[in-house]
Amino acid sequence: MTGRLLDSHLMQQRRGWTPARVTLAQSIALAGPVGVSLAERGAVQIAVLMTALVACLAWELAFDLIRGRSPSLHTVTAALIFAILVPATVPLWQIALAASFGVVFGELVFGGRGYGIVSAAAAAAGFLVFSFTGASLSVTSEAVALATLPGAVLLLWGGLISWRVLASVAAVLMAVELARQGLSGLPMVLTTAVFGLVFLVADPVASASTQWGRWVYGLLAGLLIMLFDTLAGSAIGPAALVFASLLASLFAPLIDHLTVAVIVRRRGRVHG
Amino acid sequence: MSLKHHLISPLLGNNPITLQILGICSALAVTTTLSTAITMSVALTVVLCLSGGVISLMRHHIPPSIRLIIQITIVASIVIVIDQFMQAFMFEMSKRLSIFVGLIVTNCLVLGRAEAFAMRNPVLPSVVDGLGNGLGYSLILLIVGALREFLGTGGLMGVPLVTTVAEGGWFEPLGLMQLAPSAFFILGLLVWLVRVLRPEQVEQPEFRLKAAEDRRP
Repeated sequence: MTGRLLDSHLMQQRRGWTPARVTLAQSIALAGPVGVSLAERGAVQIAVLMTALVACLAWELAFDLIRGRSPSLHTVTAALIFAILVPATVPLWQIALAASFGVVFGELVFGGRGYGIVSAAAAAAGFLVFSFTGASLSVTSEAVALATLPGAVLLLWGGLISWRVLASVAAVLMAVELARQGLSGLPMVLTTAVFGLVFLVADPVASASTQWGRWVYGLLAGLLIMLFDTLAGSAIGPAALVFASLLASLFAPLIDHLTVAVIVRRRGRVHG
Repeated sequence: MSLKHHLISPLLGNNPITLQILGICSALAVTTTLSTAITMSVALTVVLCLSGGVISLMRHHIPPSIRLIIQITIVASIVIVIDQFMQAFMFEMSKRLSIFVGLIVTNCLVLGRAEAFAMRNPVLPSVVDGLGNGLGYSLILLIVGALREFLGTGGLMGVPLVTTVAEGGWFEPLGLMQLAPSAFFILGLLVWLVRVLRPEQVEQPEFRLKAAEDRRP
């Protein structure tokens, strides 16, 4: 968050955000889903959560030491999101390996939270699915979806996720689902997607950061989710969310660049 | 510049892949197993030596305006011979490498050495330079190929070294290692490693986030 988001002085002055506060706010927002997943899956989930946390924080500490920075805890959010996405049946060493890959290649090699281009949790989940035969991601339950909502409100209120992205993705998902199955499938699609939408697709680092770009980014992410789902031939799945979010976030800088170019050209025509 | 320098410097100090970032395409494509990586390395090293020698021998007779066409023609002739040789004597391997032997023609490294070195140096240094760069390329290819085959299948050269879970052992192959992205990650890590060992290879960043760097806690 430190890079792209907190770079603007305006943002800092208006909201008083510091990197540590952003991490804290996101962790608070994640407390609901994490708590529900612990209650649902029991003691196994504690082991999953601890493994992901230890792996992520160990790498962050190592990078902080190498780069001569004071120790930080920014990878906590990636670990929490990842722990909810993986099913408890996955062996712990695979979770540790995937979490390590995600935070190192998705975040730390770029210079830390906020300097990367993808969501570290999505990178970790993608690594897990690609690497191990039989490994799949868990479908988030209705309870997790409900528990996501207060956190989503908090993040929206703090300006850490964009309502434009969420509205745009949700509109695409609902439109495609309406065309595909009619009204009956709508609640199901939204409950399974809401956690991924809030914490992967709308991730402030991974998503577009211009106002019009956010609409385009959401549109792209929504279409990709539906495309991957149709290819997989199933209802909306967590893997589709993860890969759509990864792919869409690769396009986010381009979308922002084009948005700025269009605005500059239009202003040039008006004032020039 | 001694012959020894031409031979040794491309291995680490001026490696074609990790410093010049040339020949990446084949480094990604043929490194799923060690045996294809070795064959590709040998083929490319031979092409580099021969094309360096031939082009250097002809360098005073090549008109500058059409030199690229002539260089490509020479490289293509050598590559066709090698491709035919492989199809005749090692057909299985030739099938596994498929189009990538033929694509040595377009390998940036071959044309790069021809243009940068063989065009303006005598025959012997040109051949040695080709050999050195071929070995530097091979070194990286072998490391990437060995890592990808071992981590992806649990064996080397098709011989299982550890028993995989599927066969009742403990080793869980990393499926990602057999896919192209893993070659990017391994190459990236190698470039990183080399630049840690040789800090003078680190490039200056084009942009700096000045305000953000200052404000970091």
